[in-house]
Amino acid sequence: MTETEQPPALPSTQSAELQRYERLLAEAEQIQGISLWRDAWRRLRKNRVAMISLGYLIVLSLLAVLTPLLPLQPPRQQITKLAFQAPTASPLFIREYKIAENEPAENPDEPLPTQAKIDADGFGPLNWFDRSLLAARRAIFGEWCFNSICGRDRLGRDLFARLFWGARVSLLVGLVATLVALVIGVSYGAIAGYLGGRVDNVMMRIVDVMYSIPFIFVVIFIISILNTEDVKALMAKWGIDRLTVFFLVVGAIFWLTMARVVRGQVVSLRNEQFVEAARVIGASRRRIIFRHVVPNLLSVVIVYLTLTIPQVMLFEAFLSFLGLGVERPDVSWGLLANEGVEVITPVRTVWWMVVYPGLALAMTLFALNFLGDGLRDALDPRMKNR
Amino acid sequence: MLLEVEDLRVSFQTDHGLVRAVDGISFSLDRGETLGIVGESGSGKSVTNLAILGLIPQPPGRIESGRANFRGQNLLTLPRRELQKIRGNRIAMIFQDPMTSLNPFLTIAQQLTEVTMLHRGWKYKQALDHAVEMLERVGIPAASRRVNDYPYQFSGGMRQRVMIAMALSCQPDLLIADEPTTALDVTIQAQILELIQQLQKEEGTAVILITHDLGVVANVCRRVNVMYAGRFVEEADVDALFAQPRHPYTLGLLNSLPRLDEQRGARLDPIAGQPPDLTNIPPGCVFHPRCPFRIDRCPQEVPALTERIDHRRYACFVDVQHQARVAVKENG
Amino acid sequence: MGWFIIKRLGWMLLTLWVVYSVSFVLMRSVPGSPLSAERKVSPEIEQNLKRRYRLDQPLGVQYWDDLRRIVPHGDLGASLKIQDFSVNEIIAQGFPVSASLGILALAFALTLGLTAGIISAVRRGSLADFSMMTIATIGIALPNFVIAGIVIILFVFLWPLFPPGGWGRISNIILPAFCLGAPYAAYIARLTRTGMLDVLSQDYIRTAFAKGLSERTVILRHALRGALLPVVSFLGPAIAGVLTGSLVVEKIFGIPGLGVHFVNAALQLDYPLAMGLVLLYTTLLYVMNLLVDLSYAILDPRVKLH
Repeated sequence: MTETEQPPALPSTQSAELQRYERLLAEAEQIQGISLWRDAWRRLRKNRVAMISLGYLIVLSLLAVLTPLLPLQPPRQQITKLAFQAPTASPLFIREYKIAENEPAENPDEPLPTQAKIDADGFGPLNWFDRSLLAARRAIFGEWCFNSICGRDRLGRDLFARLFWGARVSLLVGLVATLVALVIGVSYGAIAGYLGGRVDNVMMRIVDVMYSIPFIFVVIFIISILNTEDVKALMAKWGIDRLTVFFLVVGAIFWLTMARVVRGQVVSLRNEQFVEAARVIGASRRRIIFRHVVPNLLSVVIVYLTLTIPQVMLFEAFLSFLGLGVERPDVSWGLLANEGVEVITPVRTVWWMVVYPGLALAMTLFALNFLGDGLRDALDPRMKNR
Repeated sequence: MLLEVEDLRVSFQTDHGLVRAVDGISFSLDRGETLGIVGESGSGKSVTNLAILGLIPQPPGRIESGRANFRGQNLLTLPRRELQKIRGNRIAMIFQDPMTSLNPFLTIAQQLTEVTMLHRGWKYKQALDHAVEMLERVGIPAASRRVNDYPYQFSGGMRQRVMIAMALSCQPDLLIADEPTTALDVTIQAQILELIQQLQKEEGTAVILITHDLGVVANVCRRVNVMYAGRFVEEADVDALFAQPRHPYTLGLLNSLPRLDEQRGARLDPIAGQPPDLTNIPPGCVFHPRCPFRIDRCPQEVPALTERIDHRRYACFVDVQHQARVAVKENG
Repeated sequence: MGWFIIKRLGWMLLTLWVVYSVSFVLMRSVPGSPLSAERKVSPEIEQNLKRRYRLDQPLGVQYWDDLRRIVPHGDLGASLKIQDFSVNEIIAQGFPVSASLGILALAFALTLGLTAGIISAVRRGSLADFSMMTIATIGIALPNFVIAGIVIILFVFLWPLFPPGGWGRISNIILPAFCLGAPYAAYIARLTRTGMLDVLSQDYIRTAFAKGLSERTVILRHALRGALLPVVSFLGPAIAGVLTGSLVVEKIFGIPGLGVHFVNAALQLDYPLAMGLVLLYTTLLYVMNLLVDLSYAILDPRVKLH
């Protein structure tokens, strides 16, 4: 009891051993691991094209969200006498055209412009958020707005404004439909890959069979069903618009590839040595899933996401061409481009109606493709140091 | 001299900066001689030899300086067409991984015959006969039948034999074997080494054997160069090197090797620290951060690889043998 | 290999049956009748018409009757909308047109895509690489009809080299084939480049260079085959894609192929025609994928068919 607490003295050989291990430990601590994401971000930052693309996409998305705030002409305002006006940039700014002879008087008590006034101005139906942006715009810019620097269409509507309003729809379609595809595809693929065996086999056979169904037909059928009056009325009652259905339909088509990709990744991860290694050193199931499986899956999913959005946007354009896409008077880039193609005649070349929407689409898809490629290079460890 | 390499410097432009993979290397080789180059992975052994054959992709690689005289021609400045006449013909190469070094899409016959058809101008029939003969010589059973197989139908050891047959089919003056046994099982390793030695004897081919395995060197070579971080640190006859290593790095390598004549339970002594970051080579002697015999001079001055009184060549300021003896005495 | 083909054909029949059933259900669940869509007819006539096309039968009976007619003879029935034509006749007329357009487009896409891809990969990082890949990315990023629109403005109106539309002469087919093939050329170029870069970094390419082979021989003999594999597997779906892409191009250039029928049949509820086209498409896709797998096995000796 009187003995003082003292650590037992180590035999000298053991202490040498201990020192050795301490040295090794200190050395090991100096080696810094870089996380996958930090490393990927570092590499992505070095990729100039990908960074420019990323910047462009961020700016574009911001502008799309804030479109009502921008000094643009009303996108639905028809000025028939100016139909097919060629692009003009002098002067750069003009005052908005007024068509309504007797404008409704401004009510000072009303903080936001009324829907009736907005309709008369040619903006179309707007939600609360857009209306407040529009009010802010009126306060900042008054009635000044950009001249028709991209020309005017068949009905004298300003193409430049319509491109911005179209961006909102096009980007939304691309993003939401892709997310729908993502949710379906990831769940399906992950389940198939995780369960494996017979279930996996059956699930993947179903995907195979679905692959060989010409989905263009499916979409055309579904959309024609939706176009009939009865169904339209029914949907209106439930508060579903065509855009929502469009998201679902397109998402339901594009999930197939995602499911295959995710399943393949899950299967290979299950057999991967580092997962085995983690299991051997006693990592919990949770830790394995969140530290090892999810990050690896996530990188594939992100890359696929950036590469699917362009496909969906192209598909939307294709449907717009067939008259099955976004419904007028809503606009999307695909619809605008199609309007341009429709007015091609030997008599006059309204080139701006094809070129500008095409350019908008091309630049965005360009950026998405480059960003996707950049992300893939940045996230694929095999590409390291190449 | 068959091959004389002088002051070869090769660098690579990478994400992390300029990597000096080979930093001023000189060596020479006689006809029929076998030279070993030993070093850790990443020390620049392979780059040295790829550079000699002009196989460094440029960019990102760059040959900054040096000469490689082969039978009177400087390989580093030779026009591409001339160099192609030497590759596979006068200088042949075999690589580390026989699983990936053969083209999986072509039959063995196609891959073997194209060498002799190109360099000797033979017709296919003659080239095929020669290919079968070569395969028989490297010990492929039923060669005349198997010559029509694809690489995936062969085992790793057999593929390396095929590689050797391919490399030797034009009776080259020099064979560069880049880690020829690393990817193989131990029993197969011995067979392959034996095969290389036997063919070398028959053909009088000089061999540069690149390896990280001192055991392989001890078996095959007469002369050895020890390479560290893009430089040669010691050059010696095999026996001398094993008996009395003069450079601390060589000593470290030998100490980290298990030996049959040592007591059971004796501990292996790994070299402390990490191989240097080649984008940021330490000043002075490259090895000094890891060196147990370090003196003040080491970080300031690069020791030259010079011939010493005892006819040994090594790049170190310290008499390692003496120091080691002192250390042993002190520890009692 | 024979067993492999038989198995695949078995899967094809199963798929065709699934596609048939799904399409049947989908088409019949579209409200409205194909016969009353545009012109008002008296109930009597409508009854007669329905009887003639057997649309008055219960759905189950129609399902089996159609199936029994299609399966042994390949008889797809009569079109409801195009008077006096059977679906087989419509396909026989339109398919050669669409097919020749498609084949020309693919041939063009392959030639251009492979050349550009190989050059880009071999001269990686050069100006040629950069500009070709930029053009390729534009090709992928532009919808078919926008390319068509720009091409028409340029080469029909501004610089009248080609007629705006029509069919029958060589000059009629060049612009449409270009528009149809352009995105595929772009895609193939990118695939080839990636595949080529992948292969060029392989050890066996280094071996080939070490043998003293010229760059040309190494690329054409040693690298190309491996680089082609991704392109080959892309070709299966691409051929199907060319078919649907021709929907747009045929419409713009007024080409009497199958493309127009594709959409119209669905929109006008021409059940037999729509069904015929769907089945044709599925069969085509399957056969193409089968061919792709077979050529894969020829290209890569390691691939075993089973």
